[in-house]
Amino acid sequence: MKTHIFSILCDNVPGVMMRVSRCFTRRQINIDSITVGIEPSGLARIILSFQAEDQTAEHMRKVLERLIPIIQVEIIDPSRAVVREVALLKTRRMEERELMEFVEKLERTGGKMIEIKDGVATAELSGEHFKVEEAVRELSPYLREVARSGQVYLSKE
Amino acid sequence: MELTGSEILWKCLKAEGVKHMFGIPGGAIIHAYDVLYSETELQHILVRHEQAAAHAADGYARASGKPGVCVTTSGPGATNLVTGILNAYMDSSPVIAISGQVSTSLLGLDAFQEADMLSVMLPITKHNFIVQRVEDLPKIVRQAFLIATSGRPGPVHIDLPRNVQTAKAEVEIPAKVEINKYIRLEPKPYEILQAVNLLVKAERPLIMAGGGVILSNASQELVELAELLGAPVVTTLQGKGSIPEDHPLSLGMLGMHGRMAANLAVTECDLLLAVGTRFSDRSTGDVRFFAPRAKIIHIDVDPVELGKIVKPEVAIRADAKRALRKLIEALVSRWQKGKVEEWGKRIQQMKRELAPKMDYDNVPLKPQRVIKEIGETLGPDGIVVTEVGQCEMWAGHFYCVRKPRHFIASGGLGTMGFGFPASMGAKVARPECTVVNIAGDGSFLMNSQELATCVVNKIAVVNCIFNNRYLGMVKQWQDLFFGKRRSQTYLGESPDFVRLAEAYGAWGDRAERPGEVGEKLKEAIDSGKPAVLDIPIDPDEHVLPMVPAGGRLDQMLT
Repeated sequence: MKTHIFSILCDNVPGVMMRVSRCFTRRQINIDSITVGIEPSGLARIILSFQAEDQTAEHMRKVLERLIPIIQVEIIDPSRAVVREVALLKTRRMEERELMEFVEKLERTGGKMIEIKDGVATAELSGEHFKVEEAVRELSPYLREVARSGQVYLSKE
Repeated sequence: MELTGSEILWKCLKAEGVKHMFGIPGGAIIHAYDVLYSETELQHILVRHEQAAAHAADGYARASGKPGVCVTTSGPGATNLVTGILNAYMDSSPVIAISGQVSTSLLGLDAFQEADMLSVMLPITKHNFIVQRVEDLPKIVRQAFLIATSGRPGPVHIDLPRNVQTAKAEVEIPAKVEINKYIRLEPKPYEILQAVNLLVKAERPLIMAGGGVILSNASQELVELAELLGAPVVTTLQGKGSIPEDHPLSLGMLGMHGRMAANLAVTECDLLLAVGTRFSDRSTGDVRFFAPRAKIIHIDVDPVELGKIVKPEVAIRADAKRALRKLIEALVSRWQKGKVEEWGKRIQQMKRELAPKMDYDNVPLKPQRVIKEIGETLGPDGIVVTEVGQCEMWAGHFYCVRKPRHFIASGGLGTMGFGFPASMGAKVARPECTVVNIAGDGSFLMNSQELATCVVNKIAVVNCIFNNRYLGMVKQWQDLFFGKRRSQTYLGESPDFVRLAEAYGAWGDRAERPGEVGEKLKEAIDSGKPAVLDIPIDPDEHVLPMVPAGGRLDQMLT
């Protein structure tokens, strides 16, 4: 099993996500990350990653391409792609000393403070998936809530 | 001119060449049916259960090659289509299903007879739509027919909310649309070249023909290629009729209940040319031992099927008819006749030695004998439809089909209750043909209410009921693999099928002795009425030979 990333160009119509996701449900494959954006052309681009054997991934690609609203399924090679993920963080209510600790650690991980109010800090992190992952783990003793974007990929080819 | 959604719907169907449809009205489709009241060009056949409407549309499509249409109301009307639509999907049959829906403003609010049909139909159709605006209707209908009939055919569902049926718009019919899909019909020259390079080296070539050959109307090309190569042909259940089964090169059906000669040929061949088949487990048995000595060339229009089950040496993604034609053109100059002579002799020897025995004189009748008499009575022009189970496999194994679209059976889904409504659809599509439903008593009762539809609409289908009072195929498995513990498979001595037929106003009789089946079937056909011929058969008879599930094709129970 290895990670596969599909970049799916499709019509921007209701139900498209369901059509895509049910193909994975049927094979009992968990989608690790899924993001959607609208292209300048007005078409939607779904980027998703999942774990599977190569042969299963190839079958999934063909199954997805058979769907009527799907125009193209591109396979992204993670080693030839830019990957980014955004995490928004909110801390629990903390005393001044602990807050300063958090700010210091946040800066070390490359995060950015958004605001501090009534002892609660809101901040953002972005970068490669594993860096965000690591930073969130390190900051987790201070955190009450984390919102993550999922991974966005762009092939350099 | 402004038209209502209901008027637009029927105009669009007529523009697609639709002549017949099967359905039942209800609250959420009543506006459309109101317009249908004064419609003269479209014939609507009122069925007695929506499942039958879907199967009838499916049978219509398979017999005629044109899309079949079914229409229902929302909620239960639409959900009753589900089995029939999935059945059409599994066997790649072009069916257009239209159902009413609650008004768009009520969607998702649990209004009376609301069902989320977009979600329900989504995984069991080639594509499905809900019409949000009346202006979109012509485009959606056009797309639906294009999608259903192009590439690998399949069912398409249109959900039509009530307010869209009454809203008015000025629209162009038929709408101009393009499908956002690249369907490749022509094979690539290098694919053909690769295939030919393999074929010319073969000494024991075999062709495996699936339903795709029939769907692409490629029977002529198939027979031409087989004759050119001197290659025998085995067919899947769906491929029956793609080559006349009395042709010297035809080996009949392969698979779980296939002919022994067909299964042995698959095991012995050194090249398998598979056309329009998806290598169903019922056809291949244990895939690891399927065609173990052969290089495989696979032709299919659906790229998903190429490499899905069997990894071919050469995959040709194309329409069967065009690919076969290209192969013939390329092979004419390169094929050396004579090098398959040995193979030809072996095939003829297997055909002779392993020919199935059919002329039993037993009472109660043996199903083999019944099939023989039906075949002799119908001749090459009759259409045979089957229910599901033992009756279907007896027909698949023994019945000699001589033309494409003259054998119709539920393959992928194995839907009991399919045969009768499907034969109704086949008869409506091709009224000039005699249509016989080879039925089991269990399956027939799952949609026997359609006798009323047939009587009222004068659809003269003949049901031959292979009556063993059992859910026979399950019973067979219990006998063979579960120590004869016939758990819940005995149906009991009810009903009296002759009186059931008569209660509906249909022709009914019983055939019990050798010779009687043919005689009474002829009477039934001559009556010009929908008919039920009850044929009590030996309840202990199994469909044999058989490859147990997951077993090897060359290891059959006999």
